[in-house]
Amino acid sequence: MLEARHLTKRYGTTTALEALTLTVSPGEVFCLLGANGAGKTTTINLFLNFVDPSEGQALVNGVDVTRAPLESKRHLAYIPETVMLYRNLTGLENLEYFAALAGSTDLSRGSLLKVLERVGLPADAADRRVGGYSKGMRQKVGIAIAVAKGARALLLDEPTSGLDPKASNEFSELLRQVSGDGVAVLMATHDLFRAKESGTRVGIMKRGRLVALHGTDEFSHADLERLYLEHMHD
Amino acid sequence: MIGTIARKELTELSRDGRFRLLAAVILVLAVASTAAGWLQFTAVSRQHAEAQRETREQWLGQQEKNPHSAAHYGVYAFKPASHLSIVDTGLDPYLGVAVWLEAHRQSEMKFRPAQDRTAIQRFGELNGAEVLLVLVPLFILLVTFPVFAGEREQGTLRQLMSLGVAPRLLVAGKALGTLAAVALVIVPVSALAAVAMAWASADSYLAADVSRTVALGATCLVYFLVVTGVGLAVSAWAPSSRVALVTLLGFWFATSLVAPRIATDVAGSLHPTPNAAEFQRALDADLSDPEEARQRLARLQAETLTKYNVTSLDALPVAFSGLSLQSGEDHGNEVFDRHFGRLHDQFSNQARVYQWAGLASPLLAARSLSMALAGTDFEQHRHFAKAAEAYRRDIQRTLNDDIARNQRAGQPYLAGTELWSRVPDFTYDAPSIGWVLGRQATALTVLAGWLTLAGALALLATRRLSATLG
Ligand SMILES: Nc1ncnc2c1ncn2[C@@H]1O[C@H](COP(=O)(O)OP(=O)(O)O)[C@@H](O)[C@H]1O
Ligand SMILES: [Mg+2]
Repeated sequence: MLEARHLTKRYGTTTALEALTLTVSPGEVFCLLGANGAGKTTTINLFLNFVDPSEGQALVNGVDVTRAPLESKRHLAYIPETVMLYRNLTGLENLEYFAALAGSTDLSRGSLLKVLERVGLPADAADRRVGGYSKGMRQKVGIAIAVAKGARALLLDEPTSGLDPKASNEFSELLRQVSGDGVAVLMATHDLFRAKESGTRVGIMKRGRLVALHGTDEFSHADLERLYLEHMHD
Repeated sequence: MIGTIARKELTELSRDGRFRLLAAVILVLAVASTAAGWLQFTAVSRQHAEAQRETREQWLGQQEKNPHSAAHYGVYAFKPASHLSIVDTGLDPYLGVAVWLEAHRQSEMKFRPAQDRTAIQRFGELNGAEVLLVLVPLFILLVTFPVFAGEREQGTLRQLMSLGVAPRLLVAGKALGTLAAVALVIVPVSALAAVAMAWASADSYLAADVSRTVALGATCLVYFLVVTGVGLAVSAWAPSSRVALVTLLGFWFATSLVAPRIATDVAGSLHPTPNAAEFQRALDADLSDPEEARQRLARLQAETLTKYNVTSLDALPVAFSGLSLQSGEDHGNEVFDRHFGRLHDQFSNQARVYQWAGLASPLLAARSLSMALAGTDFEQHRHFAKAAEAYRRDIQRTLNDDIARNQRAGQPYLAGTELWSRVPDFTYDAPSIGWVLGRQATALTVLAGWLTLAGALALLATRRLSATLG
C-alpha cells in the first residue's frame, strides 16, 4: 500500500533521507523510530508530496506521488503531532469539511456523529467549537477524518507525543482498530512502548538511513529498548 | 466541493467579530451613500422637471415682442439624470447638468457643485461608486489576505493539502466564499437601491436603465473578482499573513488612491485644456472681430442683392436684419464648433487616457465603465451638450427666419404666441448602451485582461502552495 523505492531527500549538503526502501502492507503498522533529525518527518512529507524527492520514488497504492499528487492522496490520511483544525468551527463541522474535501459522500449528521462516537469523542463535544478542544480530542478528530475519508493508508507523525497516558492508550487502541480494518499505517514515534504495543514492525532510522528493521513480535519491550539504544550509540 | 469550501469560509467569517464589524461599517457607508444619492437624485430631478416646465411656460407666455428679444430671453435645457446617477454621480458635479440657451452664445453648462475644481475627473465626495469600487475592494482584501497565509500559520493548510484537493477547486471555492461575504453586504444595499430607483422613477428612463444596471452590476462583479484573485494570489504566495496584508494594502493604496490622481495629472498634461478665462478670451477674440464682421456683412449684402436681383436693401422682399442676424449666428456657430470642439476633444482624450490607465489600476477601468453606464461620463456630457446646442441653433434659426420673412423696413415688428409655440420643447434621448459601451472598448478590454491575469495568478500561486509549505 505504501512503498518507498530508494527514496532520497537532500537539503543542500545534508541528506535528510538516504535511499529508503520500504513497503507497508494493508493491516500493517510500521513504526519509524529514531532521534530528532533522523528523517522521519521527511519520509512522511515525501509520501504526502509536500516535498519533492531528490532521488527514488514514493508510491501509494502503486501510484507515484509526484506523478499523480491528487490521485495518490485519495487513499491517504495524515495525522501530525497536533491535528490542526478550524478553531471557529465545531468538531462536527471540521469533520464534515475535511471529509467533504476528501471526497467522501455520506456527510449526513447522523453518520458523522457515528464516526466521532467511534473514535471516542465525548458526545457533547461534537457541537462545540474546536478552539476549546484538548490535544487528545483533536487527535481523535484526526482519526475521524481518516475514517470518514475511508483512507487505506495512514501517515502519522508523532501523533501521541504530549498526550497523557490514558489519551495515548486510547489512541493506540484506535490505531489497532483501524489497522484491523486493513489500513496500512506508517507512524513516526518516539514512544518505544507504543511501538511495541500497537506496531507490527519497527524500523530504526539514524541520520536519514534505515539501520534496523524488525517485527515487533521478535522482541520484548526491553529488548526493543536495548536495540534502539545500541543503534543510537556512537 | 466549491460550494463546501465557500460555505466554510463564510461560516468562519460570520463567526469572526472583526469581520462582522467591518461588514457593518461597509453596510452603513453603502446605505448612507445610496440614501444621499437618492435624495440628491429626487431633489434634482424634481427641480429639473419644474424648471423645465417653467422655462417652457415662460417661453410660451412671452408677450408680443420682436423675435430677437425673445432670442435673448433664452431657455434652459436640462440633462435628464439616469437613475444610476444615484450610484455614480461621475463628472456631473464638475461639468454641470443644465445649459442656458440664448442668442449669439454657446454656453458652458451650469449647476456645477464642484465648480471651483479645475481638473476634470477628480473623484468627488463619497458616492455609491466610491463605496462600491474603493471600499468594497478594501473589504475584499481584508477578507482574502489570511485565506491561505492564515491557514498556513494555523497549520490547517497541511491538513487541507493532505486531502488531495485540486488547486483550481480550492481557488474557486475560496473566491466564491469571499464573493458570498461581499454579497452579504452588497445585496441588501443593492436591493435597497433598486427599490429607491423604482420609487424615484415616475416614468420613462427605467427600461433603458435596466440594461445599464445589469451591465454596471457585471462590471462590479468582474472588478470584485479581479480584487479577489489578487488577494488570493498574494495570500497563497506570501510567507506570512502579515506580509500578505501589507502587500495587499499597498496594492489597494496604489491602485485606488494614488493611481487615480496620477492618471488625472498625466491625462491633464498629455492633453492640456485652457482654463475658463483663457478659453473665454480666445473665444471672444474670434467671435467679435470687427474687421471680420464688417467684411462678412458687406459680403452678405452683395450676395443678397445679387440673389434677389435688386440694387438696394430697401427693395428686398425679405428683412435684411433677419439675414444678418442669422449670418452672425452662422459665424458664431463656426467659431463655437472650433473652440468647443477643440476643448471637448481634449476632454475626450483625457477620458481615453483614463481608460488606458486601467492597465496600471483596474479601478480606473471599472470606474470609467461605471460612470459611462451611469450616464455621467464625459462622452455623454458631450452628447447632451451637442443636442442642447443643436436645439439652441434651431431656435435662433426659427426666430431669425421669422424676422427675415415678416419684418418690414422702418416698422417695428412684433411676434406672438404663434411663433413661440413653433419652437418645439426640448427633448433629449440619452444614447443607447451600445453607443456607451462602444466608447468604453478600452476599459472593457483592460478589465477583461485584469480578470484573466488575476485568475491565472491565483491559480498559479495555489498550485505552488504545497511546494512552499515549508
Ligand atoms: N526544509 C528543510 N530544509 C533544510 N533541512 C531540513 C528541512 N527539513 C528537514 N531538514 C533536515 O533534514 C533532517 C531530517 O529532518 P526530519 O525529517 O524533520 O527529522 P525527524 O522528523 O526524524 O526529527 C534534519 O537534519 C533536518 O535538519
Ligand atoms: Mg519529526
